[in-house]
Amino acid sequence: MAAQGRTMGVLDRLLRNGPDGSTIFAGGLLIFLAVIVGAPAAMVALMSLRTGFPGEGGPLTLINFIRVYTDLSTYNVLLNTLLFATGTVVVALIFTVPLVWLLMRTDLPFKRTIYVLLTLGILIPVFLRTIAWILLLSPRIGLVNQWASQIFGLDHPLVSLYNLPGMAFIQGVSFVPGAFFMLAAAYRTMDPALEEAAYTAGVSKLRTFFWINIPITLPAIAAVMVYLFMTAIAVFEVPAIIGLPARILVLSSLIYTSTNPPTGLPEYGVAGAYGGVMLLAGLVLAYFYVRLVRQGKKYTVITGRGYRPREIALGRWKWPAMAFVMLYLSMEVFIPFLVLLWTSLLPYLQLPSAAALSSISLKNYRTIPDYTGALPFINTAILMVAVPFCAMLLSVLVSWVVIRSQVSFRGILDTVAFLPHAMPSILLAVGLGYLGLAYRNIFPFYGTIVIIIIAHTINWIAYGTRTTNSVMIQVHRELEEAGKVAGVSTPRVFLRIVLPLVAAGVFNSGIWISMLSYREVTMALTLYSRKNTVISTVVWQFWGSGWVPEVSALGVILVIFAVIVVGALRIGFSRVGEVGSSV
Amino acid sequence: MIRIKGLHKFYRTRHGLVEALRGIDLEVEEREFFVLLGASGCGKTTTLRCVAGLEKPDAGEIEISGKVVSSPGKGLNIPTEKRDIGMVFQSYAIWPHMSVFQNVAFPLIKGRKQVPKHLVSEKVSRALSLVKLDGLEERPATDLSGGQQQRVAMARAVVTEPKILLMDEPLSNLDARLREEMRLELKKITRSVGVTTLYVTHDQAEALSLGDRVCVMHEGEIVQIGTPQDVYARPANLFAAQFVGEMNFIRGKVTGPGQVDSPLGRLRCPVPPACQTGSEVTLAIRPEHLILLHHPSQGSEALEGKIASKNYLGDTSLFEVEVNGTALSVKLPGDSDFAVGQQIVVVVAPDRWRVYL
Ligand SMILES: Nc1ncnc2c1ncn2[C@@H]1O[C@H](COP(=O)(O)OP(=O)(O)OP(=O)(O)O)[C@@H](O)[C@H]1O
Ligand SMILES: [Mg+2]
Repeated sequence: MAAQGRTMGVLDRLLRNGPDGSTIFAGGLLIFLAVIVGAPAAMVALMSLRTGFPGEGGPLTLINFIRVYTDLSTYNVLLNTLLFATGTVVVALIFTVPLVWLLMRTDLPFKRTIYVLLTLGILIPVFLRTIAWILLLSPRIGLVNQWASQIFGLDHPLVSLYNLPGMAFIQGVSFVPGAFFMLAAAYRTMDPALEEAAYTAGVSKLRTFFWINIPITLPAIAAVMVYLFMTAIAVFEVPAIIGLPARILVLSSLIYTSTNPPTGLPEYGVAGAYGGVMLLAGLVLAYFYVRLVRQGKKYTVITGRGYRPREIALGRWKWPAMAFVMLYLSMEVFIPFLVLLWTSLLPYLQLPSAAALSSISLKNYRTIPDYTGALPFINTAILMVAVPFCAMLLSVLVSWVVIRSQVSFRGILDTVAFLPHAMPSILLAVGLGYLGLAYRNIFPFYGTIVIIIIAHTINWIAYGTRTTNSVMIQVHRELEEAGKVAGVSTPRVFLRIVLPLVAAGVFNSGIWISMLSYREVTMALTLYSRKNTVISTVVWQFWGSGWVPEVSALGVILVIFAVIVVGALRIGFSRVGEVGSSV
Repeated sequence: MIRIKGLHKFYRTRHGLVEALRGIDLEVEEREFFVLLGASGCGKTTTLRCVAGLEKPDAGEIEISGKVVSSPGKGLNIPTEKRDIGMVFQSYAIWPHMSVFQNVAFPLIKGRKQVPKHLVSEKVSRALSLVKLDGLEERPATDLSGGQQQRVAMARAVVTEPKILLMDEPLSNLDARLREEMRLELKKITRSVGVTTLYVTHDQAEALSLGDRVCVMHEGEIVQIGTPQDVYARPANLFAAQFVGEMNFIRGKVTGPGQVDSPLGRLRCPVPPACQTGSEVTLAIRPEHLILLHHPSQGSEALEGKIASKNYLGDTSLFEVEVNGTALSVKLPGDSDFAVGQQIVVVVAPDRWRVYL
């Protein structure tokens, strides 16, 4: 009797005090998150309704929208954006779908190496790859065209990258690793017995592929398509590096040039009016994405059976398949790297020749510090530590509330944490920049490294919470409850029981965010000042000034550092490749 | 008919080779219900998947209905889709993007034995009514209960009227009551279709009640093949005795023809000719073959002991009896009136003992 009374008392206390504490905490977290995620979007909305400089105030007006949407060239830009995004998705899928099938279901050789190279592909910044391809295919200076005019005496360039297909090609190739890991994850949860059931019913392999595999993975493929489309509408690097010189404007490059014009005054109002469409498109696509993912989940059955299906023997198709993979990896990793390496060793861009070989030197590497100083390196290091720390700390706290607590609004918290997925990073940066300019006294970070840290943290909180959610689900709730029943307070249970159990997973995605932050340029550039330069913005400026060999040298260093990190991760964690999903 | 000769299978894993099958020989007769029984990891699934052609054996030969389908020695391996089989998977593997009707019709439309269009719906309805799913044709596969999915999987496996039906623990994902119900139905369905069935389970009760013959496997080898009665009454070796049903085991030493010394005393029992005088043996006896009496009766061999514990289960009672410091488990009808602490006498018919080296 007495024991029972005591138990009831403990239960009672838990019921009365426990939820209260967590509710207050969760409420605070929700408000904080809503503010940091909502503020940039609110600023974009605000700037679209104002004219003049940030902070000038003035009445709200629709004049920006009227100006922008009565201008016919706007529709040209929207069309370009659509074409570019569509082309990008097509290029990405053409490579991704066969790659997923080859790596997940067949006996293709060298799978592990291919995984590593795909992971590396994500870490090579898109702008570096773009630059390398320009060095190869630019109509004037490109190596291929130089070579063509030497051999065939052509007076016009053989190929050019400065057009929409060229842009879509480079961007599409860059999307493949991310799309690969997303689709591979979906494929992995598919019960292989579904295929085997078709074989035992006497259905041939080809028919099974078309009538079973494709329909079952369709929701996943559609989800990846929507995700890529959503991202392609907002990407900035390729449209800036190829599109701007070719005068092919898309939304993102237009927003950038409105706020950072080469001449004249920045027009935040116009940027806001363009940003509005982009934001809306992002939200609508994110909604469809979530729905498709949910439908895809209905199709997956996780079975207790841990076996891998027998791999389909490629037989004499092995080498053609390998050639396909090599073709892709060459475009993604090998060719860009070799072009950068070659250029970085020469005084100027030239074709391989005896003269070129004799002028090879490391001079470009040695002179880099003279141009940059130490600041970009220090700032980059700060980013690589601070961004994963902030993002993962927030993610763990959010996931703990979402997955573990009984708080009634935990679903809302999860949605808010997911929203940055729909927020194009260029808008996020423009919004934060506006906030820093217009409200200097309450947000005194404009032009500092802190504002970049904030931008990056918001941007990757969606990715961070997705991974911490899945890590947290795997920790059995009763482990935590056992702690509580033993009389340990909720914060202590979190610190002593939950955190150690999720540490490895959190650390893993923290490293990944660190690397993404390291290679990020769009936000860093939009929020650029002399005080907060990072390595990626330095490369960008070198390129803008036409310092081709120096760009290449710095690019090679960037890539080699990424290789070292990936290599170390491969040794430390065998499953790092999977971290790349939903990048 | 299925004939398997000298089947070997290795898996290449990160930690080296795993020998999953170490020479399997068996023959399943026409229309027979043949059960593979064994502990987890003994190679049952591997055997089944080799027959289905989902795994490629490393040595040996598999014959289905008189036709060799796998023979690594001759470099022969007929792909799964060309073998005349039906298969029910442990996870059911119901295609989630199709309705019940489409699932069952798919083998008829796209499979090896395509039938004219007008026959499809007739055959599908017949298969569905066989598994008592009439009226659920249009239900999406994602909206089915576990038991219904199981039935759809059955219907889909038999709709093409294959010669061979393969089943890998088809009942293990169902709850206990449903499992017993489906067990009876399964037997009825395979009977009425008249198909040769190879069935995998690790549940010995399932094996005994379903099988025409049962094959006990252990670590990639066959331990015993026989009728359920055979396997239960005369386990071929110590492993089979341990695995099929409950048994009491007592160490002993052969002291003469048909005579073993044990902690229980000197016992008369059928000592196999292979056991010579002086060899160490293990005696085994089923709990239901031990009889308890209040007082010694004349003529029978009796052991004196004491009731150590009683476990009442309704239909039966399980007693733990202590005889000369050795615990014996005894199974009696539920209403037996022995009480804990009581002195009793245990009576054994000598031919109930099993003796293993
Ligand atoms: N794809 C595989 N790769 C490596 N080893 C495997 C694979 N499949 C099975 N094995 C190993 O082969 C042995 C036999 O496995 P099998 O699946 O046939 O066992 P089982 O008798 O069906 O067991 P269970 O009752 O658990 O299903 C086991 O040791 C298992 O670990
Ligand atoms: Mg098995």
